[in-house]
Amino acid sequence: MISNDELASLVRPDSVHKRVYTDPHIFELEMERIYGRAWVYVGHESQVPEPGDYHTTRLGDQDVVLVRAQNGAVHVLYNRCPHKGAKLVPEGDGCAGKFFRCPYHAWTFKLDGSHLSAPLRGGFEGTRYDPADPDFSMRRLARVDSYRGFVFASQAPQGPDLREFLGGAATSIDNLCDRSPIGEVEVAGGVFKVLQQSNWKVFYENLHDTMHARVTHESSFVAARQEAAVLGEMPFELLIQDGNGEPYAFWEKLELRAYAYGHGYMEGIFDPSAATRDPASREHFECLSAAYGEERARAIFGMNRHNTILYGSGSPHNVFQQFRVIRPLAVNRTLVEIQVFRCKDAPQAVWDRALTYANLVNSPSSNVMPDDIEVYRRCQEGNLTRGGEWVSLHRYLGTDKILPDGAVSVNGTSELPMRNQFAAWRAYMLDDKTPTIANQKSSECLHAS
Amino acid sequence: MLLDRTFDCNTRAVAAAGLERVDARSVEEFLYREARLLDERSFDEWLGLWSVEGRYWIPRHHGQENPFEQVSLCYEDAMLRETRVRRLRSDRNWSQQPVTRSVRLVGNILVDGSDASGRVIVRSCVQYTEHRLEQRQLAGEVFHKLEPDGSGGWRIYLKQVNLVSCDGVQSILEVFL
Repeated sequence: MISNDELASLVRPDSVHKRVYTDPHIFELEMERIYGRAWVYVGHESQVPEPGDYHTTRLGDQDVVLVRAQNGAVHVLYNRCPHKGAKLVPEGDGCAGKFFRCPYHAWTFKLDGSHLSAPLRGGFEGTRYDPADPDFSMRRLARVDSYRGFVFASQAPQGPDLREFLGGAATSIDNLCDRSPIGEVEVAGGVFKVLQQSNWKVFYENLHDTMHARVTHESSFVAARQEAAVLGEMPFELLIQDGNGEPYAFWEKLELRAYAYGHGYMEGIFDPSAATRDPASREHFECLSAAYGEERARAIFGMNRHNTILYGSGSPHNVFQQFRVIRPLAVNRTLVEIQVFRCKDAPQAVWDRALTYANLVNSPSSNVMPDDIEVYRRCQEGNLTRGGEWVSLHRYLGTDKILPDGAVSVNGTSELPMRNQFAAWRAYMLDDKTPTIANQKSSECLHAS
Repeated sequence: MLLDRTFDCNTRAVAAAGLERVDARSVEEFLYREARLLDERSFDEWLGLWSVEGRYWIPRHHGQENPFEQVSLCYEDAMLRETRVRRLRSDRNWSQQPVTRSVRLVGNILVDGSDASGRVIVRSCVQYTEHRLEQRQLAGEVFHKLEPDGSGGWRIYLKQVNLVSCDGVQSILEVFL
């Protein structure tokens, strides 16, 4: 058992001890104290459109099932039969029909998890078997809530509600949805599943790491630039690979916003309409103007954000309509599930752009993601050496502007997002007594000595 | 335009017409030679095997009809194939240190027929082994749609690689299959 004093000593205002990335005991504690409490994105309602439809995923170290009930409600259940413990549905997406039926002994459960029947019921006479006893039903997660179709679950019975938890980061989900003229999106086209040979926190840190782009991605942005030079134009397919090559001065001007619970967003790096072949922007703007009026359409388009972070869930991308869902598998293994969304009733060109961005930037076979996965693995392996103890988060420490609900960088290369994530990490990890989360402030680590 | 819906990615033969004029041996040799160029990382020569509008496609889903409505592991036109080659050659490509070494075993080659425009549809199987830090094995069926190059050889209009593991969890897939 690692004491709270020991855990506290691993996070300094300006650095973290490498053990947070490499110690399997800390990983186990994270599953309990972070993933056992936080609101975690399970899936989108569009993944279970009809009653009986289910989608399996992992919430921390737990196998769970998102399912649509007969009355249209969605439930999140642990994927376990209360009889022998068998997983009731196989991994993936499917339809359970009118009820769940265990493949082992045919115990059945309603789509909300409650016990329906067990064969040859006479055999239970005189025992404590009781269909009304929760011990004989599939267990639901403590709390389930949905925000604009994005379903989250928390394993803790108490704590902030979902809206409070999402805080200002909810505006990125709003904007993703508002890019549809009817304000609705759906997961479309299937998902990518990518294995990273590194700790989950490395990926979160990288999402807002503006200093890595032109170094880590040199091979891909230079390749895109060379190709564009030969062609004499910069089509969208190359623009999205080229963006990482912006000079340092560009990144310094970007805004990094940090909220409580480790969330935040980063200002956009691509201006899609800058592509020499981008039929989408104009058509999309006209479509939204017709639906919302020009002023509001302009406001929707004006929210040009790059990665948003929902700490513990992953990273929605409002401009290109995707969600990179981050699932920790082990201290050195992370599964990333990349969902792409279709803005309902938006022009086809909007979908084409989202599809192209997913294929060319965030797929495992893209030119860009391999750069990242390689350096994450190198961090994981380098931190196993005796070459040093601490990981630096010093950049622009103490300069970020504190706001009532978090902080914002003054310089866009600030390591504010990482410091903010570890402030949340520390608050989760030290609060081992109650199931609620201390309402940590992102300023907590900024001005500590 | 990359997602041009008029591109004919259907690999089901619509006709057998003209097949008697297709020299099966020349098709086999073309596929073997293509595999060898990739084994040897002779990317420039490999790029030269393609027709101007040719597409390289690795679907994400079994039975995926087209690359337009669903994500794909790869869907690349000449511009994107060239960009990938430029990156593979870069000294600053950290994930090619060391480079990926690979061999392909191509077999079960059969000419299926031709498409609506008379292009020859060839179905083969590939066993792909690569090594970079660790060894990995991939396998799949491959459809080539070939056009005569005007001097007795072939050019690739479509290469579709249907991996048996297409819908699984993926690691980095950096070189062409």
